Amino acid sequence: MSAPDFYFAANAIFRHLHDRYGKAALVEYWRSLATEYYRGRIEAWKSGGLKAVAEDWRAYFALEPAAEIDVIFEENAVELIVRVCPAIRHLRNHGRDIVPYFCEHCDHTCGAMAELAHMDFQRAGGMGACRQRFVPKTK
Amino acid sequence: MLGCHDFCGWYEWTFHFFRRRWGQEAVARLWAEAIGGESQRHYLDAGRKAGLAGLYHTWVKTGQDEACDWTFTLDEARNVLRWDMRRCPSKGFLIAQDCNADEDYCDHCMGWMIPLLDQVGVEVWEHEHNHLGQCWGTMRCKDRPAEPLEVEADIRRDPRWNSGYLDRWERGRKQPLMPEVSAAVDSCQLLVDWFAGCDQIVVVADEPAGSAETRPTEGSMPGPRDGILLTVPAYLQRPPLQPARGAVLIGHGVTTGAERECLAQLASKYLATSENQRPLLLHPYLPGRSTADWVSYRLPRPVPILPLLIRTGQYVHVPGSADPEDRFLLTALSRALQLASRGDSRR
Repeated sequence: MSAPDFYFAANAIFRHLHDRYGKAALVEYWRSLATEYYRGRIEAWKSGGLKAVAEDWRAYFALEPAAEIDVIFEENAVELIVRVCPAIRHLRNHGRDIVPYFCEHCDHTCGAMAELAHMDFQRAGGMGACRQRFVPKTK
Repeated sequence: MLGCHDFCGWYEWTFHFFRRRWGQEAVARLWAEAIGGESQRHYLDAGRKAGLAGLYHTWVKTGQDEACDWTFTLDEARNVLRWDMRRCPSKGFLIAQDCNADEDYCDHCMGWMIPLLDQVGVEVWEHEHNHLGQCWGTMRCKDRPAEPLEVEADIRRDPRWNSGYLDRWERGRKQPLMPEVSAAVDSCQLLVDWFAGCDQIVVVADEPAGSAETRPTEGSMPGPRDGILLTVPAYLQRPPLQPARGAVLIGHGVTTGAERECLAQLASKYLATSENQRPLLLHPYLPGRSTADWVSYRLPRPVPILPLLIRTGQYVHVPGSADPEDRFLLTALSRALQLASRGDSRR
Protein backbone atom coordinates (compact mmCIF):
# COMPACT_ATOMS: atom_id res chain seq x y z
CA MET A 1 0.00 0.00 0.00
CA SER A 2 1.70 3.19 -1.13
CA ALA A 3 -0.45 6.19 -0.46
CA PRO A 4 1.41 9.38 -1.34
CA ASP A 5 -0.77 11.45 0.99
CA PHE A 6 1.35 9.94 3.77
CA TYR A 7 4.06 12.38 2.69
CA PHE A 8 1.78 15.13 4.07
CA ALA A 9 1.98 13.43 7.46
CA ALA A 10 5.77 13.15 7.29
CA ASN A 11 6.07 16.87 6.55
CA ALA A 12 3.63 17.72 9.35
CA ILE A 13 5.36 15.47 11.90
CA PHE A 14 8.73 17.07 11.15
CA ARG A 15 7.29 20.58 11.55
CA HIS A 16 5.41 19.71 14.74
CA LEU A 17 8.45 18.17 16.37
CA HIS A 18 10.75 21.00 15.26
CA ASP A 19 8.44 23.77 16.41
CA ARG A 20 7.49 22.16 19.72
CA TYR A 21 10.71 20.55 20.83
CA GLY A 22 13.49 22.07 18.73
CA LYS A 23 15.84 21.06 15.94
CA ALA A 24 18.04 18.90 18.16
CA ALA A 25 15.00 16.85 19.17
CA LEU A 26 14.03 16.43 15.53
CA VAL A 27 17.52 15.14 14.70
CA GLU A 28 17.34 12.78 17.69
CA TYR A 29 13.98 11.53 16.36
CA TRP A 30 15.33 10.89 12.87
CA ARG A 31 18.41 9.07 14.11
CA SER A 32 16.46 6.98 16.64
CA LEU A 33 13.86 6.10 14.01
CA ALA A 34 16.54 4.90 11.66
CA THR A 35 18.47 2.84 14.20
CA GLU A 36 15.41 1.30 15.84
CA TYR A 37 12.76 0.95 13.15
CA TYR A 38 15.20 0.09 10.36
CA ARG A 39 17.42 -2.25 12.39
CA GLY A 40 16.62 -5.08 9.98
CA ARG A 41 17.78 -3.11 6.95
CA ILE A 42 20.92 -2.04 8.80
CA GLU A 43 21.76 -5.69 9.57
CA ALA A 44 21.31 -6.53 5.90
CA TRP A 45 23.64 -3.70 4.88
CA LYS A 46 26.23 -4.81 7.41
CA SER A 47 26.26 -8.39 6.29
CA GLY A 48 25.79 -7.77 2.54
CA GLY A 49 27.85 -4.64 2.06
CA LEU A 50 27.33 -2.21 -0.79
CA LYS A 51 25.59 -4.80 -2.94
CA ALA A 52 22.95 -5.18 -0.24
CA VAL A 53 22.60 -1.41 0.03
CA ALA A 54 21.95 -1.15 -3.71
CA GLU A 55 19.43 -4.01 -3.71
CA ASP A 56 17.70 -2.55 -0.68
CA TRP A 57 17.23 0.88 -2.25
CA ARG A 58 16.07 -0.55 -5.57
CA ALA A 59 13.40 -2.52 -3.74
CA TYR A 60 12.50 0.43 -1.52
CA PHE A 61 12.03 2.98 -4.30
CA ALA A 62 10.16 0.50 -6.49
CA LEU A 63 7.36 0.83 -3.97
CA GLU A 64 7.37 4.64 -3.80
CA PRO A 65 4.82 6.18 -6.17
CA ALA A 66 6.16 8.38 -8.98
CA ALA A 67 9.77 8.08 -7.81
CA GLU A 68 12.33 8.58 -10.58
CA ILE A 69 15.53 7.28 -9.07
CA ASP A 70 18.53 5.47 -10.45
CA VAL A 71 20.51 3.24 -8.10
CA ILE A 72 24.09 2.87 -9.29
CA PHE A 73 26.20 0.08 -7.78
CA GLU A 74 29.92 0.71 -8.13
CA GLU A 75 32.83 -1.18 -6.68
CA ASN A 76 33.38 1.34 -3.91
CA ALA A 77 30.08 3.18 -3.64
CA VAL A 78 26.36 3.08 -4.11
CA GLU A 79 24.91 6.19 -5.64
CA LEU A 80 21.25 7.17 -5.68
CA ILE A 81 20.48 9.63 -8.44
CA VAL A 82 17.17 11.09 -7.34
CA ARG A 83 15.85 12.69 -10.51
CA VAL A 84 12.39 13.19 -9.02
CA CYS A 85 11.88 12.86 -5.28
CA PRO A 86 8.37 11.44 -4.85
CA ALA A 87 7.82 13.19 -1.54
CA ILE A 88 8.75 16.69 -2.68
CA ARG A 89 6.82 16.21 -5.89
CA HIS A 90 3.62 15.21 -4.11
CA LEU A 91 3.90 17.97 -1.53
CA ARG A 92 4.43 20.60 -4.26
CA ASN A 93 1.66 19.24 -6.48
CA HIS A 94 -0.78 19.70 -3.62
CA GLY A 95 0.40 23.13 -2.61
CA ARG A 96 1.76 22.10 0.74
CA ASP A 97 4.20 24.30 2.63
CA ILE A 98 7.32 22.13 2.75
CA VAL A 99 9.47 22.53 5.84
CA PRO A 100 12.85 23.97 4.76
CA TYR A 101 14.72 21.16 6.52
CA PHE A 102 12.69 18.35 4.91
CA CYS A 103 15.66 16.96 2.98
CA GLU A 104 17.78 16.80 6.12
CA HIS A 105 15.78 13.77 7.20
CA CYS A 106 17.73 11.78 4.61
CA ASP A 107 21.02 13.04 6.04
CA HIS A 108 20.13 11.83 9.53
CA THR A 109 18.18 8.65 8.83
CA CYS A 110 20.45 7.39 6.05
CA GLY A 111 23.46 8.76 7.88
CA ALA A 112 22.61 6.87 11.08
CA MET A 113 21.92 3.68 9.14
CA ALA A 114 25.16 4.03 7.21
CA GLU A 115 27.17 4.61 10.39
CA LEU A 116 25.94 1.41 11.96
CA ALA A 117 26.74 -0.43 8.73
CA HIS A 118 30.27 1.00 8.81
CA MET A 119 29.65 3.34 5.91
CA ASP A 120 29.54 7.06 5.27
CA PHE A 121 26.65 8.90 3.68
CA GLN A 122 26.72 12.07 1.61
CA ARG A 123 24.00 14.09 -0.08
CA ALA A 124 24.28 16.82 -2.70
CA GLY A 125 21.27 18.79 -3.88
CA GLY A 126 17.75 18.59 -2.57
CA MET A 127 14.20 19.91 -2.66
CA GLY A 128 13.19 17.67 -5.51
CA ALA A 129 16.38 16.24 -6.94
CA CYS A 130 19.62 15.13 -5.34
CA ARG A 131 22.45 12.62 -5.38
CA GLN A 132 23.17 10.41 -2.41
CA ARG A 133 26.26 8.26 -1.90
CA PHE A 134 27.04 5.40 0.43
CA VAL A 135 30.73 4.56 0.72
CA PRO A 136 32.59 2.21 3.05
CA LYS A 137 34.21 3.99 5.95
CA THR A 138 37.86 4.64 5.33
CA LYS A 139 40.06 3.11 7.98
CA MET B 1 14.42 8.76 2.57
CA LEU B 2 11.41 7.94 4.69
CA GLY B 3 8.93 6.55 2.24
CA CYS B 4 5.18 6.20 2.09
CA HIS B 5 4.95 2.49 1.36
CA ASP B 6 6.17 1.64 4.87
CA PHE B 7 4.84 4.82 6.46
CA CYS B 8 2.48 3.03 8.83
CA GLY B 9 5.40 1.17 10.38
CA TRP B 10 7.49 4.19 11.22
CA TYR B 11 4.35 6.17 12.04
CA GLU B 12 3.53 3.63 14.76
CA TRP B 13 7.13 3.80 15.98
CA THR B 14 6.78 7.61 16.09
CA PHE B 15 3.88 7.35 18.54
CA HIS B 16 6.01 5.21 20.82
CA PHE B 17 8.90 7.68 20.54
CA PHE B 18 6.67 10.57 21.51
CA ARG B 19 5.18 8.72 24.49
CA ARG B 20 8.51 7.60 25.92
CA ARG B 21 10.23 10.90 25.23
CA TRP B 22 7.53 13.41 26.21
CA GLY B 23 4.63 11.48 27.71
CA GLN B 24 1.05 10.58 26.87
CA GLU B 25 -0.12 14.15 26.27
CA ALA B 26 2.58 14.64 23.67
CA VAL B 27 1.25 11.94 21.39
CA ALA B 28 -2.27 13.33 21.75
CA ARG B 29 -0.95 16.74 20.64
CA LEU B 30 0.88 15.13 17.73
CA TRP B 31 -2.35 13.56 16.51
CA ALA B 32 -4.44 16.69 17.01
CA GLU B 33 -1.98 19.30 15.76
CA ALA B 34 0.30 17.65 13.21
CA ILE B 35 -2.08 15.10 11.73
CA GLY B 36 -5.49 16.69 12.26
CA GLY B 37 -4.22 20.26 12.15
CA GLU B 38 -1.96 20.08 9.10
CA SER B 39 -1.59 16.75 7.35
CA GLN B 40 -5.31 16.04 7.01
CA ARG B 41 -6.40 19.58 6.22
CA HIS B 42 -8.03 18.38 3.00
CA TYR B 43 -10.72 16.84 5.20
CA LEU B 44 -11.17 20.17 6.94
CA ASP B 45 -11.49 21.95 3.59
CA ALA B 46 -13.99 19.36 2.35
CA GLY B 47 -16.05 19.56 5.52
CA ARG B 48 -16.17 23.36 5.37
CA LYS B 49 -17.25 23.33 1.72
CA ALA B 50 -19.80 20.54 1.77
CA GLY B 51 -20.37 19.19 5.27
CA LEU B 52 -20.92 15.47 5.59
CA ALA B 53 -21.07 15.07 1.82
CA GLY B 54 -17.66 16.68 1.45
CA LEU B 55 -16.21 14.43 4.12
CA TYR B 56 -17.80 11.41 2.46
CA HIS B 57 -16.18 12.10 -0.92
CA THR B 58 -12.78 12.76 0.68
CA TRP B 59 -12.88 9.55 2.63
CA VAL B 60 -13.96 7.57 -0.41
CA LYS B 61 -10.94 8.91 -2.29
CA THR B 62 -8.65 8.04 0.61
CA GLY B 63 -10.08 4.54 0.58
CA GLN B 64 -9.21 4.18 -3.10
CA ASP B 65 -5.69 5.51 -2.61
CA GLU B 66 -4.99 3.30 0.38
CA ALA B 67 -6.89 0.23 -0.85
CA CYS B 68 -9.16 0.23 2.20
CA ASP B 69 -11.64 -2.63 2.43
CA TRP B 70 -14.45 -0.60 3.92
CA THR B 71 -17.90 0.78 3.24
CA PHE B 72 -18.78 4.43 3.74
CA THR B 73 -22.49 5.24 3.90
CA LEU B 74 -23.92 8.75 3.80
CA ASP B 75 -27.51 9.37 4.81
CA GLU B 76 -28.05 13.12 4.88
CA ALA B 77 -31.71 12.77 5.82
CA ARG B 78 -30.64 11.01 9.03
CA ASN B 79 -27.66 13.36 9.42
CA VAL B 80 -25.23 10.43 9.58
CA LEU B 81 -22.02 9.49 7.83
CA ARG B 82 -21.02 5.96 8.74
CA TRP B 83 -18.07 3.71 8.03
CA ASP B 84 -17.56 -0.03 8.50
CA MET B 85 -13.97 -1.17 8.09
CA ARG B 86 -13.47 -4.80 7.15
CA ARG B 87 -9.71 -4.71 6.82
CA CYS B 88 -7.74 -1.63 7.77
CA PRO B 89 -4.71 -1.44 5.45
CA SER B 90 -2.82 0.60 8.01
CA LYS B 91 -3.27 -1.84 10.91
CA GLY B 92 -2.99 -4.63 8.39
CA PHE B 93 0.50 -3.45 7.46
CA LEU B 94 1.56 -3.54 11.10
CA ILE B 95 0.12 -7.02 11.55
CA ALA B 96 1.78 -8.32 8.38
CA GLN B 97 5.14 -6.82 9.37
CA ASP B 98 4.82 -8.01 12.99
CA CYS B 99 5.12 -4.45 14.29
CA ASN B 100 4.01 -3.52 17.80
CA ALA B 101 6.21 -0.68 18.99
CA ASP B 102 3.40 1.42 20.42
CA GLU B 103 0.79 0.88 23.12
CA ASP B 104 -2.24 1.54 20.95
CA TYR B 105 -1.90 2.47 17.28
CA CYS B 106 -5.62 2.37 16.59
CA ASP B 107 -6.38 5.30 18.90
CA HIS B 108 -4.66 7.70 16.51
CA CYS B 109 -7.65 7.95 14.16
CA MET B 110 -9.85 9.38 16.88
CA GLY B 111 -6.87 11.43 17.98
CA TRP B 112 -6.91 13.46 14.78
CA MET B 113 -10.51 13.08 13.63
CA ILE B 114 -12.28 14.37 16.71
CA PRO B 115 -10.51 17.76 16.93
CA LEU B 116 -10.57 18.21 13.15
CA LEU B 117 -14.27 17.44 12.77
CA ASP B 118 -15.09 19.70 15.68
CA GLN B 119 -13.86 22.64 13.59
CA VAL B 120 -16.59 21.98 11.03
CA GLY B 121 -19.35 21.32 13.54
CA VAL B 122 -19.23 17.54 13.20
CA GLU B 123 -18.79 15.04 16.01
CA VAL B 124 -17.92 11.37 16.14
CA TRP B 125 -21.22 10.02 17.42
CA GLU B 126 -20.06 6.45 18.05
CA HIS B 127 -16.92 4.50 17.24
CA GLU B 128 -15.48 1.12 18.13
CA HIS B 129 -12.34 -0.68 17.00
CA ASN B 130 -11.14 -4.15 17.84
CA HIS B 131 -7.39 -3.67 17.29
CA LEU B 132 -7.38 -6.39 14.64
CA GLY B 133 -8.20 -4.17 11.66
CA GLN B 134 -11.98 -4.00 12.01
CA CYS B 135 -13.80 -0.89 13.15
CA TRP B 136 -16.95 1.14 12.62
CA GLY B 137 -18.18 4.61 13.42
CA THR B 138 -20.72 7.31 12.77
CA MET B 139 -20.36 11.07 12.42
CA ARG B 140 -23.09 13.67 12.55
CA CYS B 141 -23.52 17.43 12.35
CA LYS B 142 -23.81 18.68 15.91
CA ASP B 143 -26.39 21.36 15.15
CA ARG B 144 -29.25 19.02 14.30
CA PRO B 145 -30.74 15.71 15.38
CA ALA B 146 -29.48 12.46 13.96
CA GLU B 147 -31.03 9.03 13.66
CA PRO B 148 -29.12 5.76 13.96
CA LEU B 149 -28.21 4.19 10.66
CA GLU B 150 -28.23 0.43 10.27
CA VAL B 151 -26.37 -1.02 7.32
CA GLU B 152 -25.96 -4.40 5.72
CA ALA B 153 -22.19 -3.97 5.93
CA ASP B 154 -22.23 -3.65 9.75
CA ILE B 155 -18.82 -5.02 10.69
CA ARG B 156 -20.14 -6.25 14.01
CA ARG B 157 -21.81 -9.09 12.13
CA ASP B 158 -18.39 -10.21 10.85
CA PRO B 159 -17.00 -13.14 12.88
CA ARG B 160 -13.61 -11.41 13.09
CA TRP B 161 -15.23 -8.69 15.19
CA ASN B 162 -15.43 -11.03 18.17
CA SER B 163 -11.72 -11.72 18.47
CA GLY B 164 -10.07 -8.51 19.54
CA TYR B 165 -10.55 -6.11 22.41
CA LEU B 166 -12.68 -3.03 22.01
CA ASP B 167 -12.13 0.64 22.57
CA ARG B 168 -15.31 2.67 22.32
CA TRP B 169 -16.13 6.36 21.85
CA GLU B 170 -19.43 8.10 22.36
CA ARG B 171 -19.92 11.71 21.30
CA GLY B 172 -16.20 12.21 20.89
CA ARG B 173 -15.20 10.83 24.29
CA LYS B 174 -13.41 7.58 24.94
CA GLN B 175 -15.42 5.32 27.21
CA PRO B 176 -14.25 3.34 30.27
CA LEU B 177 -13.20 -0.18 29.36
CA MET B 178 -14.82 -1.77 32.39
CA PRO B 179 -16.97 0.83 34.14
CA GLU B 180 -17.89 -1.70 36.82
CA VAL B 181 -14.20 -1.79 37.81
CA SER B 182 -12.91 1.72 37.21
CA ALA B 183 -13.22 4.88 35.13
CA ALA B 184 -10.03 3.94 33.23
CA VAL B 185 -10.23 4.52 29.48
CA ASP B 186 -7.01 2.70 28.73
CA SER B 187 -5.93 -0.80 29.62
CA CYS B 188 -2.80 0.32 31.46
CA GLN B 189 -4.77 2.24 34.06
CA LEU B 190 -7.43 -0.47 34.20
CA LEU B 191 -4.81 -3.05 35.19
CA VAL B 192 -3.38 -0.72 37.83
CA ASP B 193 -6.85 -0.05 39.21
CA TRP B 194 -7.72 -3.77 39.27
CA PHE B 195 -4.72 -4.52 41.50
CA ALA B 196 -4.85 -1.28 43.50
CA GLY B 197 -4.27 -1.85 47.19
CA CYS B 198 -2.58 -5.24 46.80
CA ASP B 199 0.46 -5.72 49.00
CA GLN B 200 2.27 -7.70 46.33
CA ILE B 201 1.56 -9.38 42.99
CA VAL B 202 2.36 -13.13 42.95
CA VAL B 203 2.86 -15.02 39.70
CA VAL B 204 1.73 -18.64 39.52
CA ALA B 205 2.59 -20.37 36.25
CA ASP B 206 1.48 -23.82 35.16
CA GLU B 207 2.67 -26.82 37.09
CA PRO B 208 3.09 -30.43 35.89
CA ALA B 209 -0.16 -32.35 35.66
CA GLY B 210 -1.09 -34.07 38.91
CA SER B 211 0.83 -31.65 41.06
CA ALA B 212 -0.74 -31.70 44.49
CA GLU B 213 -0.35 -28.02 45.03
CA THR B 214 0.73 -25.11 42.95
CA ARG B 215 3.57 -22.99 44.06
CA PRO B 216 4.23 -19.44 43.13
CA THR B 217 6.79 -18.83 40.43
CA GLU B 218 7.98 -15.74 42.20
CA GLY B 219 7.45 -14.45 45.68
CA SER B 220 5.71 -16.11 48.57
CA MET B 221 2.33 -17.82 48.62
CA PRO B 222 -0.37 -15.23 48.02
CA GLY B 223 -2.13 -13.91 51.06
CA PRO B 224 -5.53 -12.29 51.36
CA ARG B 225 -4.11 -8.85 50.55
CA ASP B 226 -2.12 -9.97 47.52
CA GLY B 227 -2.84 -10.00 43.84
CA ILE B 228 -2.24 -13.16 41.82
CA LEU B 229 -1.40 -13.65 38.14
CA LEU B 230 -2.03 -17.12 36.74
CA THR B 231 -1.55 -19.00 33.52
CA VAL B 232 -4.58 -20.94 32.30
CA PRO B 233 -3.28 -24.34 33.46
CA ALA B 234 -2.51 -22.91 36.90
CA TYR B 235 -6.00 -21.39 37.08
CA LEU B 236 -7.64 -24.68 36.09
CA GLN B 237 -5.66 -26.73 38.58
CA ARG B 238 -6.01 -24.38 41.50
CA PRO B 239 -8.75 -24.57 44.10
CA PRO B 240 -10.68 -21.37 44.77
CA LEU B 241 -8.35 -18.65 46.02
CA GLN B 242 -8.79 -15.93 48.53
CA PRO B 243 -6.35 -13.32 47.28
CA ALA B 244 -7.44 -9.75 47.02
CA ARG B 245 -7.40 -9.77 43.22
CA GLY B 246 -6.68 -12.33 40.52
CA ALA B 247 -6.06 -12.34 36.78
CA VAL B 248 -5.57 -15.15 34.28
CA LEU B 249 -3.41 -14.83 31.17
CA ILE B 250 -4.94 -16.59 28.18
CA GLY B 251 -1.82 -17.02 26.08
CA HIS B 252 -1.80 -17.50 22.33
CA GLY B 253 -0.97 -21.16 22.85
CA VAL B 254 -4.31 -21.67 24.55
CA THR B 255 -6.23 -20.20 21.63
CA THR B 256 -4.81 -22.59 19.05
CA GLY B 257 -4.93 -26.26 18.17
CA ALA B 258 -4.82 -28.91 20.85
CA GLU B 259 -4.81 -26.46 23.72
CA ARG B 260 -8.21 -25.05 22.77
CA GLU B 261 -9.79 -27.56 25.15
CA CYS B 262 -8.15 -25.57 27.96
CA LEU B 263 -10.03 -22.51 26.77
CA ALA B 264 -13.34 -24.34 26.96
CA GLN B 265 -12.47 -25.53 30.47
CA LEU B 266 -11.50 -22.02 31.49
CA ALA B 267 -14.77 -20.66 30.20
CA SER B 268 -16.69 -23.31 32.09
CA LYS B 269 -14.89 -22.61 35.36
CA TYR B 270 -15.07 -18.83 34.89
CA LEU B 271 -18.80 -18.81 34.18
CA ALA B 272 -19.48 -21.12 37.12
CA THR B 273 -17.72 -18.68 39.48
CA SER B 274 -19.79 -15.99 41.12
CA GLU B 275 -19.31 -12.67 39.40
CA ASN B 276 -17.62 -10.90 42.27
CA GLN B 277 -14.99 -13.64 42.53
CA ARG B 278 -14.11 -13.95 38.86
CA PRO B 279 -10.54 -13.15 37.86
CA LEU B 280 -9.70 -10.54 35.26
CA LEU B 281 -8.96 -12.18 31.92
CA LEU B 282 -5.82 -11.09 30.09
CA HIS B 283 -4.37 -11.75 26.62
CA PRO B 284 -1.16 -10.66 24.82
CA TYR B 285 -2.79 -9.83 21.44
CA LEU B 286 0.60 -10.13 19.73
CA PRO B 287 0.26 -8.93 16.12
CA GLY B 288 -1.10 -11.50 13.72
CA ARG B 289 -1.15 -14.39 16.20
CA SER B 290 -4.16 -16.62 16.42
CA THR B 291 -6.71 -15.49 18.94
CA ALA B 292 -10.16 -16.68 19.99
CA ASP B 293 -13.75 -15.76 19.30
CA TRP B 294 -14.33 -14.61 22.86
CA VAL B 295 -18.02 -14.05 22.30
CA SER B 296 -18.61 -17.66 21.29
CA TYR B 297 -17.12 -18.79 24.61
CA ARG B 298 -19.34 -16.26 26.46
CA LEU B 299 -16.20 -14.74 27.88
CA PRO B 300 -15.56 -11.04 28.29
CA ARG B 301 -12.90 -9.84 25.87
CA PRO B 302 -9.60 -10.19 27.76
CA VAL B 303 -7.71 -7.06 28.67
CA PRO B 304 -4.50 -6.52 26.68
CA ILE B 305 -1.24 -6.59 28.61
CA LEU B 306 1.24 -5.35 26.00
CA PRO B 307 0.30 -1.66 26.41
CA LEU B 308 1.33 -1.65 30.08
CA LEU B 309 4.42 -3.73 29.41
CA ILE B 310 5.49 -1.32 26.66
CA ARG B 311 4.66 1.78 28.69
CA THR B 312 6.76 0.62 31.65
CA GLY B 313 9.62 -0.60 29.49
CA GLN B 314 9.11 -4.25 30.46
CA TYR B 315 8.69 -5.44 26.89
CA VAL B 316 9.97 -4.37 23.49
CA HIS B 317 8.46 -6.20 20.55
CA VAL B 318 11.06 -7.18 17.97
CA PRO B 319 9.50 -8.14 14.63
CA GLY B 320 10.23 -11.72 13.71
CA SER B 321 11.47 -12.77 17.13
CA ALA B 322 10.13 -15.76 19.05
CA ASP B 323 7.00 -15.17 21.08
CA PRO B 324 7.55 -14.64 24.80
CA GLU B 325 6.33 -17.44 27.06
CA ASP B 326 3.31 -16.88 29.26
CA ARG B 327 5.45 -17.16 32.40
CA PHE B 328 7.74 -14.41 31.10
CA LEU B 329 4.78 -12.18 30.30
CA LEU B 330 3.24 -12.60 33.74
CA THR B 331 6.53 -11.92 35.49
CA ALA B 332 6.98 -8.81 33.37
CA LEU B 333 3.41 -7.79 34.13
CA SER B 334 4.02 -8.14 37.85
CA ARG B 335 6.99 -5.77 37.58
CA ALA B 336 5.02 -3.40 35.35
CA LEU B 337 2.21 -3.20 37.88
CA GLN B 338 4.64 -2.39 40.67
CA LEU B 339 6.27 0.32 38.57
CA ALA B 340 2.97 1.79 37.44
CA SER B 341 1.47 1.83 40.91
CA ARG B 342 4.48 3.80 42.11
CA GLY B 343 3.85 6.31 39.34
CA ASP B 344 7.09 5.26 37.67
CA SER B 345 5.53 4.37 34.33
CA ARG B 346 8.58 5.03 32.16
CA ARG B 347 12.02 3.47 32.26
